[in-house]
Amino acid sequence: MSRIEDALRKALRREEPPEGFAERVMARIQSRDREAAGVREAIGPWGGLLAAFREPHLRWAAVCAAAALLVGGLEYRSQRLERAEGERASRQVMLALRITGSKLRLAQDHVRRIDYAPVERKERL
Amino acid sequence: MPGVAETGTVTAVEFTEIVREHQAMVFSIAWHFLHDRAAAEELAQDVFLRLYRSLGELESPEHVTHWLRRVASNRCIDHCRRRRLTPRIGLDRIAEPSIPAVQPDPMLSRRLRQLVASLPEKWRALIVLKYQEDMENEEIARTLGMPVGTVKSQISRALDFLREKASRVMGGEV
Repeated sequence: MSRIEDALRKALRREEPPEGFAERVMARIQSRDREAAGVREAIGPWGGLLAAFREPHLRWAAVCAAAALLVGGLEYRSQRLERAEGERASRQVMLALRITGSKLRLAQDHVRRIDYAPVERKERL
Repeated sequence: MPGVAETGTVTAVEFTEIVREHQAMVFSIAWHFLHDRAAAEELAQDVFLRLYRSLGELESPEHVTHWLRRVASNRCIDHCRRRRLTPRIGLDRIAEPSIPAVQPDPMLSRRLRQLVASLPEKWRALIVLKYQEDMENEEIARTLGMPVGTVKSQISRALDFLREKASRVMGGEV
């Protein structure tokens, strides 16, 4: 061990804090407990719930739950929009098919009439 | 005491015993770090108040010791950064001796404590944990969340710095 290390070990020996340190710590704890109890009393039945959120792990759990709800809600909304869009597109396709079908029937009738016309004329002659 | 009873782990008497058992360690870390007894006591009290709130998460007496060292060191570093206390005792405020001579031990210790308090925060934490708490480099690395290699190199640099300043201030080889 070098001389500086030896000197540092001697210089940095543990020292006791001023007399009554532990009692002062306990007094601060008691005072905080009393304050916390006062706040709990003042905020009524919601106090327990609010106090629970002072616990870091519960606070994180609440944040995670809120984030999951938000993501889930957005996902649900996006799926609903997608489904509505699909249904609208399907209705449009069906309408287009119906229009096309009726047009086809008209054209078919027209062709049939053209086909039969000379035969009728021949029969009259 | 209702609060202590609420933790479900220790009674007020038991917690007072825990404070008494570790108070010298926590107070000395703060005192050697801040070089201000009033600030050291306040910081040490804050550390025990945090311990009181966190008792449920600590599993063993060894865990309590490790937790106290870690929290006390980090609180000291934060305290200095917040108040821009770097360094509280500037090297320029340490008088050069008129007659360089080998000083008696109490004087060397006092000067060394002042020099330690003038180091950058990380070096201070490393030196205090190494020479006050007599911790191994691996343990210091775990406590401060640093790689072991960094701990070794930083302690070595801090020692070179202290050796040079101490020999300048005290005169002669230290």
